[in-house]
Amino acid sequence: MMDDREHESFQAAHEPVLPMADIQGIIVPGFLKQHHTLIGVCAPDRKGANAEFRRFIGEFAEEVTTALEALKDRRNRRAAKQNRAERISIRPLVAIAFSHVGLLKVTMGASSLPSDAFRQGLSARSGYLGDPSNPESPGHPGKWKIGGPGHELDALIVVAGDTRDQVDARADDVQRMLDGARLKVAYQEKGDVRDDFPGREHFGFSDGISQPGIRGRASDDPGDFITPRHIAREAEPAHAQFGYPGQDLVWPGVLLLGQPASSPDPLIPGIPSSAVPNWSQNGSYLVFRRLRQHVPLFWKTMESEANRLSKLPGFEGTTAQKLAAHLVGRWPSGAPVNRSPLNDDEALGNEPLANNHFRFDSDAKALPLTSGFEDKYPQSKADPAGITCPWAAHIRKVNTRDSASDTGGRDSTYIRRILRVGIPYGKPLADGDADVKSEKDKKGEEDPYVKTESQSDKDDRGLLFLSIQASIEDQFEFLVTRWMGDPSRPKMPAGHDILVGQNDAPGEHRERRCVLFGSGLQQATVTTNAQWIVPTGGGYFFVPSLSALREVLGGT
Amino acid sequence: MALLARYDAPAFLPDFDSIPGQVEAWNKAVSAWFDQNIADDKDAFGRDTLLYYNAATFDPGGVEVEQEITWNAFPKELLRRYGRERALVLADRLWPIESFGVYPSDPDNTNGTMGVLYRPQEEYCEWHVVRGPDLGKILRIIFTSEPPEYWQALFGLVPGSKMPPVIDDQHFPGDRDKLLHLYHELVSYDVRQPDLIAVDDIKDEDGEILVRKGQYNIYNKWNTTLGIAHLNSPPNSLVAEIKLGADASIRYLNPQGYLLVEPEALICYAGYGGANRNSDPTIGASVNALARTGAYVTLRNPVGLYMDHIDLSGWEAPDQGSVSDCVRIIRGRPGMVERMVVEVPPARGFAVSDLMIAGVPIRYGGQVAECITVKLTGIANILPKPISRNSALTAAHRMLDPRWPVAVNKLKLTDPIPAGSVEAFLFQGTGDAPALAVRTEDIAKRLQPAVRLKRARYGFRF
Repeated sequence: MMDDREHESFQAAHEPVLPMADIQGIIVPGFLKQHHTLIGVCAPDRKGANAEFRRFIGEFAEEVTTALEALKDRRNRRAAKQNRAERISIRPLVAIAFSHVGLLKVTMGASSLPSDAFRQGLSARSGYLGDPSNPESPGHPGKWKIGGPGHELDALIVVAGDTRDQVDARADDVQRMLDGARLKVAYQEKGDVRDDFPGREHFGFSDGISQPGIRGRASDDPGDFITPRHIAREAEPAHAQFGYPGQDLVWPGVLLLGQPASSPDPLIPGIPSSAVPNWSQNGSYLVFRRLRQHVPLFWKTMESEANRLSKLPGFEGTTAQKLAAHLVGRWPSGAPVNRSPLNDDEALGNEPLANNHFRFDSDAKALPLTSGFEDKYPQSKADPAGITCPWAAHIRKVNTRDSASDTGGRDSTYIRRILRVGIPYGKPLADGDADVKSEKDKKGEEDPYVKTESQSDKDDRGLLFLSIQASIEDQFEFLVTRWMGDPSRPKMPAGHDILVGQNDAPGEHRERRCVLFGSGLQQATVTTNAQWIVPTGGGYFFVPSLSALREVLGGT
Repeated sequence: MALLARYDAPAFLPDFDSIPGQVEAWNKAVSAWFDQNIADDKDAFGRDTLLYYNAATFDPGGVEVEQEITWNAFPKELLRRYGRERALVLADRLWPIESFGVYPSDPDNTNGTMGVLYRPQEEYCEWHVVRGPDLGKILRIIFTSEPPEYWQALFGLVPGSKMPPVIDDQHFPGDRDKLLHLYHELVSYDVRQPDLIAVDDIKDEDGEILVRKGQYNIYNKWNTTLGIAHLNSPPNSLVAEIKLGADASIRYLNPQGYLLVEPEALICYAGYGGANRNSDPTIGASVNALARTGAYVTLRNPVGLYMDHIDLSGWEAPDQGSVSDCVRIIRGRPGMVERMVVEVPPARGFAVSDLMIAGVPIRYGGQVAECITVKLTGIANILPKPISRNSALTAAHRMLDPRWPVAVNKLKLTDPIPAGSVEAFLFQGTGDAPALAVRTEDIAKRLQPAVRLKRARYGFRF
C-alpha cells in the first residue's frame, strides 16, 4: 500500500479559485437548459449608433448571468433531482458575445485579439472547415440563413431556461432593451430539447454525454469544485482525472483566457492561456454553427448501406440502427458501442455514472464511486484498432480518450476539448427516431424516412451548435478540419467522420468514407456523398468577462 | 500466412533494382535490424517480454490486422517549447548539430558551432524552402520522408553502432554514380561526388562519430544549406523506427509497479523516443496497445516512413482556381509518398507564398507541414488465444519544470529531481493496484546494466 505522501500525490495540484462573478455563466459551468432563444444583433450603420451600442452593452451587463449564478442554478437543479423535488426555477440565463465586426464598433482593441479565425469570421473560414465551395450548394455561405458574407452579426445573445414561456418572456425583455437602444434584431431563433425524446438530437441519438469538466473551485473552500467529483479516492489515479467516470477534467485555460491551461501531465497545470489584450482575461470564444439535419436522407443512407453490408461475410445482420450506432460510437440511448457492441442498452445509456466510462486502448474496470453506485454493466474491452468502435465513429474522432493521436500523447486530446452548449431547433420528424424506426423495420412496414423531404422551412430541423473554447483554431477548427474531416486522423484505420464531417477536398465530390470491421476481422468500407448535415449559418464570437462588458466595451 | 519473402525498398523505390545484389542486401539489412533490436531488448528486459517479430523469419500464424499509425508533420517539440509563431520560423531553419536535443532558449545563436547543420524537423518528414532572389516569395517547398539508410545503401555502407543497442555495419554493392545521378535529378546538376563524402570524421560534442571519414555524409551541403535529398535530423531514421517498434511491444511497469498504458507516461518511463513529439508517443502507444491485447506486432513491408497525404481543405489560390496542380508527388506513390513538392505551375503566374491556407498567406514551410500526415504501418497478428508476456520495469522517467510546464525534460531514474521541477506522470496506470511492490533503488540496481545510451537511435541522451 502507498503511504500518505504517495497517496496525496494522486491529487492534482491545487485547482484555482475562479473569479465566478466576472465570468459569464455560458462558459462556466455552461448553459445546459431545455429551451434557448438566440438573438442576433446588428448595430445600424448610422451616426451615433456605436455609442448607443456601447450604452446598451453597459446596461445589458447587469442582465448577463455570471458563472456564480449559473453554478447556483446547476446545483439547485442537481439537488432537486436527487431529492426528487420540484426545483425552484430562476430567471432564464442570459449571455452575450460579440463578433469581430461587432467588437470593432465599440473598441479598436478588438483587432488585438490574437485569433485569425475570429478576425476573419466563420463565413470566411467556411471553406477551411470543408463546407461546400460551390456557390450553388445549399451549404455555401452565400446561401446561409444567418451570418453569410456581408451579413455577419455584431453580437449574439443567448437566453436559456427551463420552460419555453419563461425564455420567451425574457427574450421579449431583451428585445425591448434592444429596441430602446435602436439596435436591430437581425436573427432570432428558438431551440428546444425534443419533446418526444428529451436529450436526443434529430437523428435520434442522445447528445452531450461526453462533456469535459472544468478544473477549479468556486470559493476558497478546498472541496468547492465547480465540477463535482464522483470517483472515490481509492480509485487511483482515476480519482484525480475524472469528474463523472470518463469525464475528463481540463484545466480552466482550455475554456477560459488567462487561466492555467493544460501541461503534458493532466494533473499538473500548464502556463495560462493567452489573454491579450488585458480585457480578454476571463473571456472565451463562442462558435455558433447552424446545422440543418436531413433526417430522412440520413436514415435512407443507413438503410441502403446496412442492406449492402449485411450481405458481406462478417457483417450479417447489420441493421440501419446498428450501422448508425457504429458511425456515432453510441447507440441512440447513449450507451457506448464499446460497452454494448451488439445492441442498445437503454439502462446503460441513461446512467450518467456509467454511460461515459470506457477506454479505447485498455480494458476498463468498474470504479468505486462516492455515491456507492456499482457499475454492473459490461465493461469495455481494449479496442486499439477500432474493431468494436470504429476509429471513424464521431465520438472517437473528436475525443481519443486514452489513445494517442496524430498529435502525440493524451495531452493532445485535453487541449482540443470544447464545451458544447447547443440545442436542437425545429420540430422532430414525425416518427423521426431511430427506436421508432427499428420498430417499423420489425413490422416490415414502409420506411417513413425514405419519403422525399421537402426543402421548406416547415421541415427545417437541426442543431444550433454552440461551443465554448479558449482557441477557435486549436479547438473547434482543429476538431473539424484535422480530425472529423480528415480520413487518416486522429488514427487509422478510420476514414471520415461520416456523421458530421465535411469533405470539400478537390476532386473528391464531397464523398466521405470510413472503414468498419466485421465479426471475423473482415474490413468493409462505407462510402457516401449524401449531405445530411448542411451548414446554414453561424458566426465566431468572443464572450467577454463581466468587467470587460462594464468597463471596456460598455458605458458612455 | 507465410513468411515474408523479402523486405522491399521503402515505397518500392526502384533505384536498387538495377544494382546487382542490392535488393538482396537491403532485404538482409532490414531483417538484421529487426533481429538485432529484438535481441537487444531481450538482453535488456528478458527473453519473455517482447511481442515483436521479424516477419521474414517468424510467422505467428494469426489473422493480420493492419493499423496505419499517423501523425502530423510539424514538429511538436518546437510548438511546445517556443509557441506556434516562433516555431514556424525556427522549423524552417537549419540548426547546428550541437543544438540537437538541447533546445536552447536562443536557437538563433549559432556562434562557435562546428558547422554541421541539421533540420530540426523531428517528425520523420523534413522540408526545404526555396525562396526567390529577394528571399521573400516562396517558389517551392520540397518535402521528404526518405530515410538516410536508403541513400547510405546506395553509397555502399549503412554504418552501425557499437554503443548499445549494437547494430552491425550493413554493406551493400552500392552504386555511387546512381547516387550522384539522383542528386542531379532531385537537387542540382551542380552536385559533384566529392561533395557527398565526408572529408573527415564528423563527431558530436561527446566525441561520438556521427559520420565516418570517406563515407557518405548525410549532412552534406546539398542535403542541408543548398537543398534536400533525404531525412537528416538525428532521430529520423529507419533503424530508429524498427527499434521503437521493438521497445514499444513490451508491457512496462512504472516504478510503483503500475502497468503503464497512458501514451506519454509510457514513452517517458520506457524511454523509447521523444516524448514531446507527435510521432513517437503515438507510434509507441499504438504498438503497445496492440501488444497489450496479446497480439504479435511488426511493421508492414516495405518498412518505411511515408507521407500519407496532404490536406488541401481551405487552400485558396489568388486566381480562385484549384490548388491540386500545386502539389506533385516526386517519389513514392499516393499513401506512400517519399518526396513531394509544393510549387505553382509557371503558367499560373504566382508563387507558393501567394497561396493562402484558411485565409492566411503561406510564409513558412511549416504551414504546409501542418497539412501533411506522416505514417508508418503496423501489423497486429491476432491469434485466437492472446499471447501472454512478462512485464518489464522501466528505465527512465522525465520531469516537468513547473515554471514553464510546456514540455517534459529528460532525467535518469537514478538522478534526483532538480529543485524547482516536479516529476511528471506519477501513477499513470490502469488504476489497478500495483502489480508488485518495488522501490526505486531496487529498479535502478536491477536496470543499471541495461540503461542504454539511446542517443544514436532516438536522438536524446541521458
